[in-house]
Amino acid sequence: MTEYTLQAKNLKKRFASHEVLKDVSIKAKKGDVISILGASGSGKSTLLKCTNLLQYPNGGELYFHNEQIKFKLKNGLMVPVDNKQVLRIRSKLSMVFQQFNLWTHMTILENVMEAPVHVLKINKKDALERAHTYLDKVGILEKKDAYPAQLSGGQQQRVGIARALAMEPDILLFDEPTSALDPELVNEVLLVMRKLANEGRTMLVVTHEMNFAKEVSNYVIFLHNGLIEEEGNPQKLFNHPNSAKLNQFLNVMNKS
Amino acid sequence: MNFSIVIDNIPLLLDGLWVTLHLISLSLVLGFMLALPLALIRHFKVPVANQLIWGFTYFFRSTPLILQIYLIYYGTGQFSWIRDSWMWVILEKAYLCGLIAFTLNTAAYTTEIFRNALDTMRKNEIEAAIAFGMSTWKAYTRIVIPNSLRRSIPPYSNEVIFLLHSSSIASAITITELTGAARYLYSKYYDPFTPFLAVSLVYLVIVFLLTYIFKLLERRFLSYLSINHESTKKLGDFGNP
Repeated sequence: MTEYTLQAKNLKKRFASHEVLKDVSIKAKKGDVISILGASGSGKSTLLKCTNLLQYPNGGELYFHNEQIKFKLKNGLMVPVDNKQVLRIRSKLSMVFQQFNLWTHMTILENVMEAPVHVLKINKKDALERAHTYLDKVGILEKKDAYPAQLSGGQQQRVGIARALAMEPDILLFDEPTSALDPELVNEVLLVMRKLANEGRTMLVVTHEMNFAKEVSNYVIFLHNGLIEEEGNPQKLFNHPNSAKLNQFLNVMNKS
Repeated sequence: MNFSIVIDNIPLLLDGLWVTLHLISLSLVLGFMLALPLALIRHFKVPVANQLIWGFTYFFRSTPLILQIYLIYYGTGQFSWIRDSWMWVILEKAYLCGLIAFTLNTAAYTTEIFRNALDTMRKNEIEAAIAFGMSTWKAYTRIVIPNSLRRSIPPYSNEVIFLLHSSSIASAITITELTGAARYLYSKYYDPFTPFLAVSLVYLVIVFLLTYIFKLLERRFLSYLSINHESTKKLGDFGNP
């Protein structure tokens, strides 16, 4: 049996009567870099946030290293049964957010050390070492004593990535990591992400960056209206899309 | 004006100052300790407790402090079952009644200050805490409460100064704090101006010191918020004719 780092089967999610995810299945093996594309409102971010249970789905199954997450149905919502299991799994899935979501009252260094010390319970000395390593990796070590508000968006997002890496997670989840950035700041973040992909890290990336999806990922998923409209390897999808919707989406994206 | 009134009675005024200072510092400490759990109950909207605490804060924030002091000092003495109980040991003493009134009053205001800070915490930061595997308890103790307390410093500093001023009301139930001492000198020498002016200056100095301490605290704990100079622009900085 193939081991999947992360697998979601038949995910369904609705907000009130609006069905955001109708029936979506994804799986990621170790080393996969999967890009999730789609127009606004297609359910990309919701899909990502269902995988680490920031949002509870209304139906489907979730597996982490083939271990099933246990749910019970409560008012149509799938609520986890075992809180410890959820916390343990969340600590191995690290998320990078569109709005960075750094902890504003902590310095950069404290931001990166926080979860390793207080969630993984590693000692402070090791956490400090880790923080230095990853801040250096994303090229922002010299700002370690600054507060998030003192940094540019691109710098904040690199801290966000260092914070995620410091957990040494099994999979990195990127939720439109460059969408909130000024155009000139996008590249510094994409460069870091390329570096991570080249290291063989497992990544799930919700993005509007077509070049990143095309050149860096080994698998692309195109969501439309809460369903996977088309998926496969990026060469095939970008050069010979089967679906009219994907074709239309690519034309729009290429023009911008 | 006769400054000898003040100079001759420095020990009395110092005693008054001492009473003022420990009355408000004790009620601030006790009020703070009460306010944090109460604010959390309000924030989480714990059924029944939330409504009761709302009633408590509403009462103490909407009635004059002097009435609250009268109710606790004179009001409770009216009931024989209170006078016959162990509570009377506390409630017959003016100082302790003042302390209770000030503590409850500042607890009411501080509860609402903290609750407001907790309610306005940026959801983004909580989302990140949850995503990194923190339990609700951990997310609150590590992220939400420290951040909210820091943002409470400016309104809380107002509350401290407000309580300092209110402490002069304690003289109404025979507590000889700073204002009470001045009032005693007035009645003794028939000179209102000198003693009241003198204690006004003392309040002025205390407020000056408090303001300075809170400025230091803000610089230490809130520097992360006031970095962006765009956010502190004045109307004149915009080049509007």
